Amino acid sequence: MEENIEKLGQKFKEKINSIKSMADAESVRVEALGKKGEVIEILKNLKNVEESKRKEVGDKANKLRVEIEELIEKKKEELKELEYEAKIKNAEKIDLTVPVDDKVGSLHPITIVSRELEDIFTGMGFTVEDGNEVETEYNNFEAVNVPKYHPARDMQDTFWLENGEVLKTQTSAAQNKIMKKYGAPLKAIFPGRCFRNEALDASHENTFFQMEGMMIDKNVSISNLIYFMKTLLSEVFKKEVEVRLRPGFFPFVEPGFELDIKCPYCGGVGCKVCKYGSWIELCPCGMIHPKVLEMGGIDPEEYSGFAFGLGLSRLAMMKYNINDLRALNSCDLRVLKQMKIK
Amino acid sequence: MYISINWIKDFVDLDGIDVENLIYKFTMSTAEVEGITKHGQDVSGVITARIESVEEVENSKKLHKLMVNNGKELLQVVCGAPNVREGAVVAFAQVGSKVQGQNIGVATLAGIESNGMCLSEKELGVSDDHSGIIILDDDTPLGVDIKTIIPVDDIIYEVDNKSLTNRPDLWGHYGIAREIATIVNRPLKPLEVEELNQYRELEKLAIDVAVENEENPLCLRYSAMRVENVTKKQASWKVKTRLYYCGMRSINLLADMTNYIMMELGQPMHAFDERVVDSVGVRTLPEATKFTTLDGQDRDLDKGTLMIWHKDTPVAIAGVMGGLQSEIEDDTTKLFLESANFDAVQIRKTAAKLDLRTDAAAHYEKTLDPELCELAIARFIKLLRDEDKDITITSAFSDVYVKKYPHITIHIDKPFIDRAIGKVLSMEEVTRTLTNLKYDIKVDGDNITIEVPTFRATKDVSQKADIIEEIARIHGYDNIVPESNLWKISPVQKDPVRELEYSAKELLASKYGASEIHSYVWYNTELNQELGIKTRDNLKITNGIVRLDNTLRHEMAPTMLYAIHKNLKYMSEAKVFEVGRTFDYHFDGGLAEEYKVLGIGLSSLKQTEKELMYEAKSMVDSIVSIDRNMTVEYKHMEDVENNWMHPVNSYEVLVNGISLGYISVVHPKIVDSINPKAAIVVAEIRIDTLGEIAKHEIEYKEISKYQTVTFDLSLIVDKDVMYGDIEKAIKEAKMQYLMGYELVDIYESAEKLLGKKAVTIRFTIGSYTDTLTKEQIDKEREEVLNSLKSHQMNIAE
Repeated sequence: MEENIEKLGQKFKEKINSIKSMADAESVRVEALGKKGEVIEILKNLKNVEESKRKEVGDKANKLRVEIEELIEKKKEELKELEYEAKIKNAEKIDLTVPVDDKVGSLHPITIVSRELEDIFTGMGFTVEDGNEVETEYNNFEAVNVPKYHPARDMQDTFWLENGEVLKTQTSAAQNKIMKKYGAPLKAIFPGRCFRNEALDASHENTFFQMEGMMIDKNVSISNLIYFMKTLLSEVFKKEVEVRLRPGFFPFVEPGFELDIKCPYCGGVGCKVCKYGSWIELCPCGMIHPKVLEMGGIDPEEYSGFAFGLGLSRLAMMKYNINDLRALNSCDLRVLKQMKIK
Repeated sequence: MYISINWIKDFVDLDGIDVENLIYKFTMSTAEVEGITKHGQDVSGVITARIESVEEVENSKKLHKLMVNNGKELLQVVCGAPNVREGAVVAFAQVGSKVQGQNIGVATLAGIESNGMCLSEKELGVSDDHSGIIILDDDTPLGVDIKTIIPVDDIIYEVDNKSLTNRPDLWGHYGIAREIATIVNRPLKPLEVEELNQYRELEKLAIDVAVENEENPLCLRYSAMRVENVTKKQASWKVKTRLYYCGMRSINLLADMTNYIMMELGQPMHAFDERVVDSVGVRTLPEATKFTTLDGQDRDLDKGTLMIWHKDTPVAIAGVMGGLQSEIEDDTTKLFLESANFDAVQIRKTAAKLDLRTDAAAHYEKTLDPELCELAIARFIKLLRDEDKDITITSAFSDVYVKKYPHITIHIDKPFIDRAIGKVLSMEEVTRTLTNLKYDIKVDGDNITIEVPTFRATKDVSQKADIIEEIARIHGYDNIVPESNLWKISPVQKDPVRELEYSAKELLASKYGASEIHSYVWYNTELNQELGIKTRDNLKITNGIVRLDNTLRHEMAPTMLYAIHKNLKYMSEAKVFEVGRTFDYHFDGGLAEEYKVLGIGLSSLKQTEKELMYEAKSMVDSIVSIDRNMTVEYKHMEDVENNWMHPVNSYEVLVNGISLGYISVVHPKIVDSINPKAAIVVAEIRIDTLGEIAKHEIEYKEISKYQTVTFDLSLIVDKDVMYGDIEKAIKEAKMQYLMGYELVDIYESAEKLLGKKAVTIRFTIGSYTDTLTKEQIDKEREEVLNSLKSHQMNIAE
């Protein structure tokens, strides 16, 4: 019996040595250690071995079983290693310098700039509102203190519609509705498309975007406006900006200002962006006209506030160094695809 | 508007003040300056000289050889001007002088040496007249710098007209001088005027103003005076040069003087030839009339246009332009001088209607102060007398004053001013500023009572906010220290539609590689025709620059097709989207309805229509599922509304039974006109409607602890049976344990399955309380099969 075991050991060791594949390994394992495997058979038949040798034979057979198991495992590992080596050796070298379809689309520059600004404003507690594109004459003009036949209507060439409405010439057209909706105190911005009946050239578009903002509370002063605009614009340009106010006339504010910033691109030394003027006229603003507050249902004796308008199209052009305003509405993907989504 | 610094200096002493810095301060305190021009810097060394002799030059029709006396010596000069004559005193550019920036040297003309040149007004830079050389008064001293006789040197700055829209008082130099005096804190000199009272005993001129509306008269005031014995024809160099520098051409003495007053005081004036107009009426036209204005144009005037009449003949369009008939002629010596005030709206309407935006109209439409009428006449006579000392006044100041503006008093207190500005200013500064700007003020403790001067009271200044502006701007906005205010912070409500819009945009760009475009809200008529797109009639723009493109879009799809048309020329695929507005109008004069719509346009030369349809569907599914947990229903459309939609492959998109729009293959006709090789799909989704649909909150479902069972069924159905129909049959089945099902495969083969297709679906069933028994599993299978069978959907054998 013991000889048998030894022979068996010899036989399987040889077989294991000649294993070439995982399948071989499995069949050798089954032959030796399967349910009817030769080594297992010995263990199953131990009861037939005479009592005195039973333990010894059992021990040897068990030892053999463990030995074969280990050898097969070892062989399997060797085979795996060979397999990996072969895989690596035969692997196709992947050329990552070949262009691939990144399948990343693009957002419109206005969307990107508007979203950035909206994030800044919501961080400062402003609600974002949406205005209409077609507005009543009342909302676009009367409610912002531009009565019929007022010369201020010349400041904006208007697209008139056959039903007497207009394509809104300014985001201010939403002021009245927003004041009526929220009352005071109020902090809101309202970005939107605006329209002017103008011939197109590199710096004139009949369709462009503005973002208007209003802040109404008790005791809002000119000094607060300057502080606010400076803080806001520093966020927009991601650096401390110097601002200055000049008188400007906009019928819906009193006093009205033109806000200039010291050119953030050259620091005021003079460059293409500021047209070598060191200041950039950026945003009309002012203290909301008492009549406008009144028409919006807010008591100008109790509340005051400021309003400002940012040219989104202008900011987008500055941000991306676009020198022709018409590019924004061109639908030309050769232009727009450059604005890959982050 | 152009401002002459020389003119300003008539009223404010600017000695020792840096003019450029002053103009900067003007920008910072009053109104935007658009540019500065320094006249006379390119001229030097030009002197007066007399032509002593004139000789023809042989073989030249034009040239003359002159001997010119510069006060020291005689110089030989060749000159081509037609108006040379012996004894004429001229502006002479001698050798070594500078004209138009060029150095003058010895030149040879027609073989003759010329030692300098006689200048025209254009060459000197004081007008655009180049018809002859300047001829000065005979008694002009010789050899003196021309600049002592003709005020060539001046600094002109241009103020942005728009920023003066609300400041009628700044439409003349005297008003600007008042601002400048305040800015530099120096006194404003009073205007020198003729004392009109001395003529009060003289005859009054007949002025008849018809007042049709007492509340809102069209003519607020009409003043006139008669001036005789005007013999001079040309205004002085001072007047002519100032007018030219400020953008007006010199015409004759009287026209120039009325323009001069307008540019000095802002008050338009009109001089009628007294032989034609010796009395006036002011009333509207009873019927439409043709009228010839003094520019020689025949104009059609509407009934109701306000006119100046002489007896029964209209002689001027009030406040806009005079008539040709009553124009000042060369032999006019007697004039009827008008200084009037008309309603701003009326003037603006008339000027706009006639497209005749004269300077007078531009002034009147700013709402001028009627008090100016009298001042302007008094000033006019004083200045005309300076020009022509022999004039005589032969009438009393004649005046019909229909409506005075109410006097305005504003009460304000110092703490209010400080609060509004956000800085505490001294009472001294506040009162000084207001006094310099000619407000009458009374101070009582902190309270200030302010009387607004008439020239600010027509519309500009009426309330406290206006006073705040006056004080703050003169103080200088730069000098206000920015200060925070501790406003209450409250959480910001986000607009669901706007949020959805952004999420959708990001998704389309990042997941599907589409590009956002912006376009126009009106249809492109020409392109519609080229591409064969038919659009529905809709609200129109009445005054667009491009006449054809005036219909507002009712649908987004045409915009998408324009973009595809444009881009497929350059690339093999164009996938675009825009969240834009569409409009709906019922042609009833009512308001337009406005919608926020996502338009999607997918086009490719590489992909099939089917692939693009599935991509569009995937896009819509993803957008709807953003934070919403909802499923979309796609309903095959039997009729398509728009001609770009495919009659077979168009699907309505619904969520919760609410229609959001459609996805459609583009009609082959239109594809053909874009690119016959392309596959094109468009979709329109009402993002506003979707944003308003209440969200389904996501409910967590526990995973069953018991084993689930899956089985596949392969159905053979008619080719045109839709998967949606199969789903309906599955949902109708009385299955108790269905946990889910999914499409494994759709197999179509022309050879093996004639007119049919095989659809394989995998079902998952299970229970939360038990492991299913074989009987239960079989029962489930049977239920679904029964339901499918009742819809003629059988499993493959």
